[in-house]
Amino acid sequence: MSGTAGTSGSGDPLWLKFLPSASIILLLCIWEIAVRVGHVAPIILPAPSAIVSYLVAMIFDGTLPYHLGITFMRILAGFLVSGVLGILLGVFMGMSRIVARVLDPWIAALYPLPKISLIPLLIIWLGTGEAYILTISAITAFFPVVISTFAGIRQTDQGLIRAARDLGANERQLQIKVVVPAAMPSIFSGLELGMGVTIILVVAAEMIGGSNQSGMGFLLIRFGQVMETEKLFAALIALAVFGGVVMKTQKRIEHWVAPWAAGNM
Amino acid sequence: MDIYVEDLVQVWADRGEGVRALDGITHHFPSGKLICLLGPSGCGKSTLVQIIGGIEKATAGSVRVVAPGGSEQDSAPPGARSVMMWQGLNLFPWRNVIDNVAFGLEMAGMSRQVRYARARELIATVGLRNFECRECSHLSGGMKQRVALARALIMDQPILLMDEPFAALDAQTKIVMQEELTRIFVKMRKTILFVTHAIDEAILLGDEVVVMTARPGRIKEVIKIDLPRPRSQEMISSPEFGALYDRILHLIREEVLDAMRQQDEAFVQ
Repeated sequence: MSGTAGTSGSGDPLWLKFLPSASIILLLCIWEIAVRVGHVAPIILPAPSAIVSYLVAMIFDGTLPYHLGITFMRILAGFLVSGVLGILLGVFMGMSRIVARVLDPWIAALYPLPKISLIPLLIIWLGTGEAYILTISAITAFFPVVISTFAGIRQTDQGLIRAARDLGANERQLQIKVVVPAAMPSIFSGLELGMGVTIILVVAAEMIGGSNQSGMGFLLIRFGQVMETEKLFAALIALAVFGGVVMKTQKRIEHWVAPWAAGNM
Repeated sequence: MDIYVEDLVQVWADRGEGVRALDGITHHFPSGKLICLLGPSGCGKSTLVQIIGGIEKATAGSVRVVAPGGSEQDSAPPGARSVMMWQGLNLFPWRNVIDNVAFGLEMAGMSRQVRYARARELIATVGLRNFECRECSHLSGGMKQRVALARALIMDQPILLMDEPFAALDAQTKIVMQEELTRIFVKMRKTILFVTHAIDEAILLGDEVVVMTARPGRIKEVIKIDLPRPRSQEMISSPEFGALYDRILHLIREEVLDAMRQQDEAFVQ
């Protein structure tokens, strides 16, 4: 998912290729100069140089690796559960009209519900500990995955199905050898969508409950409350880079598992 | 395998008040011949081969497939003795060349060793040796055609049905594929039904050209092609070829005009 795929080409002149990086550097320079010249209080807007020095310090004292690691484990645990369940249920729905009819109203009713609105209820049921965060993490990705899987299975190219039948495939073989592989691109797009929302929801859950006092969400809230704005910015940068790396890695894994399905990298 | 088609009718009930695609087709497709079905688009030629291939069910009429010299009792149901090469090829994009070609044998439960050995033979037959492990998305149009042909041939069925397989190819690749098909036909002596809308292709390939009418599809005329085999592109300039071409063109022209009129009327409505 390269955001600049449509705008950058190999035939661009040199200055155009450097324009994206140049614009970032220019903005940072203006920011730095404005803060220094205008004597802006660091609590409101710290200088980029100060943010970077805090970022480096927090990496080396272990704060960021620790909390980022915990957040990552929570995302991964929930995502694996919802991914596996979502794919399985989506496949069953695609294969069996009965399963589809039974599950469809539930999914239709629950999918539009913002999962974040379940947080108060989950806190009543599960408290503010690990169980609550993991539950949020596991609920979030389930819907995009199950819906995309189901859609992918239903939209299998009829030509491929007819060709497979003509070549002697029975119904079971048709599902396993044709329908599921044909649905892989949809399943992947569901997983990508699911990962995006899981990152959001886990960080949000850590902000709101989080009695364990750990994770990036907890860190952000704490820095905000004590107005350590430099650290807040540093944590945000770490989270942004983390999100990018996770999504990119997911793409790579998909490409490795099923090169035909995983579009362009 | 001789194919006997009798009073075949196909009505698409789900399209408006019902579209009559085939209207009483009766014909004997002789065993071991390459027969071209020629007609304007929408005349039901694809539908006809799909019914013969057991892919579509006819509204009325019968299809019987009998080995030459075999009795009535030996006739097989449509599709049991045939395999299709599709207009859109329908290769499985997640499988490489050899796994596409071996698909049918895999479905039949053959071991990997057996099916790969057989697949390698057929990949060599269609001229794709050393491309076994290539992903199909990395192949050119002509190479994809060869994969689809090998995937059909591996089924070892006496009847090969081909639904405009070369329609999307560029002119040069098409010539090469026509020659390949002729070579394989002479070597394997299958009964081949080949759907096309190109007159020169039909004459170049066919032992017999079945010209169909515009919708509803009927058989307008059957023309024997007695040009000697092997045939080549040079024959196109021969007087015999020209005479056949003119004759078929005259037949098909009326039907194409009729089909266009039908389309215009449908458009106005």
